Amino acid sequence: MPCFAHFRSCLPILLLLSFAASGAAPVPTKHATVELLSKQTEIAPGSTALLGVHFILESGWHIYWKNPGDSGQPPAFQWQFPQGLTAGDVEWPVPERLQASPELADYGYKEEVLLLVPVKVASGTQSGSAAQITLQAKWLICREVCLPERAELKLSVPVKSAAKDDSSQAKLFASAARRLPKPLPRGWKTVAVEGKDNFILKVSPPHPLKQAQFFPADPGQIDNAAHQVVQPTPKGASLQLKKSDLLLKPIAVLRGVLSLADGEAYVVEAPVRAPRR
Amino acid sequence: MFRVRNSLIALCSVIALVAAAFAVRVGEPAPGFSAVDSTGKTQRLSDYKGKYVVLEWHNQGCPFTQKHYESGNMQRLQKEWTAKGVVWLTVISSAPGKQGFVTPTQENDYLKKMNAVPTAVLMDPAGTLGHLYDAKTTPDMYIIDPAGNLIYEGAIDDKPTTDQADIASAKNYVNAALTEAIGGKLITDPATRPYGCSVKYGKF
Repeated sequence: MPCFAHFRSCLPILLLLSFAASGAAPVPTKHATVELLSKQTEIAPGSTALLGVHFILESGWHIYWKNPGDSGQPPAFQWQFPQGLTAGDVEWPVPERLQASPELADYGYKEEVLLLVPVKVASGTQSGSAAQITLQAKWLICREVCLPERAELKLSVPVKSAAKDDSSQAKLFASAARRLPKPLPRGWKTVAVEGKDNFILKVSPPHPLKQAQFFPADPGQIDNAAHQVVQPTPKGASLQLKKSDLLLKPIAVLRGVLSLADGEAYVVEAPVRAPRR
Repeated sequence: MFRVRNSLIALCSVIALVAAAFAVRVGEPAPGFSAVDSTGKTQRLSDYKGKYVVLEWHNQGCPFTQKHYESGNMQRLQKEWTAKGVVWLTVISSAPGKQGFVTPTQENDYLKKMNAVPTAVLMDPAGTLGHLYDAKTTPDMYIIDPAGNLIYEGAIDDKPTTDQADIASAKNYVNAALTEAIGGKLITDPATRPYGCSVKYGKF
């Protein structure tokens, strides 16, 4: 998408587009433009609506994943909803590994990201009026240096008896959904074999995997900056993950996201076991 | 002139006495070091055997560091614990040209302006001490016990934000660890994930 490679040049177009769609006016900050979008032009009681917080970042700057890695801080959202609406957990797209130096690695997003937030609309919610939604968003944005930024984003969505998708937002929401990690396919097995200094994460689809990268969901378990040694096996691959120096207690499950060469990514919850003698 | 002085500082300020051949881990001996402070005095970890030593990685341009200095939180900790005999060493590992790099004079002016009272500020522009301890963020905190063992490493508290308003409700890990250790108790949280800006190391 040339637009996002040189987003400055197409920013006016993006702004115009979002004015026409289900979203409030984008808010420019020093190094980003942020907007609150709705997948639906109309939302309905007894359903789950999908909102998105869209970050368009100045070239070279990044924001953070839910586990930011060695430094940084994930965006934080504080919602104000009318009665009947409640926000679920943020759905985080697969991040990029941002290695600033040999000893430090972070996880985050560059250029553009849509963070999805499902919103439950209770069945008793009154229809006929518009739901006024306000989001206080705070995030840390970094290039070499880091700056805290914030914005107040407002959105008004009519509550009707049936929900209606916004066709002008379909592409953006669909591409965000594609960037989310999927549940591990049926039949795939994962296990993390614990050694003194490493976990060996074994993945068995069961077919050989050439390339794989693991993003830890929890901080302080693996060494973020250490090179992940990937060894293809007949049934999949094994990844050597160096333990974090901060890991002093045993863990039962190694959680994270496994990203593969074909662009697919899966949620991994690998039970940890001792090596077989 | 300035440049010559800076590179001299970069070259000589930190001489690691122990190579970083092993990872620094809580429960193990803290690696010894010798470093020049902002007053030009050489500080050795071995000088402080028998005392608790706190290491605080610092970058005055980092919003996470600013949270704890502009609120006076870090100065309060420095004052309270140094009054109880704890040695507090602030460490600056920003490389020349990077955010947080300061000359000794600039650092001494900053200390005065902020009413900061560490025992000393170690100038580490080559990043030797930072790499020795594997310091990742500013702030990143370490506590060494009187026997010379590392007893805490990680965050300053449990609210990884840049908001001063979060300090009041945060659990301060450094306070907790020092209180427990000095009281002869086990440290509840001996290792936590440090939060903040990345340490602005130069090319190695």
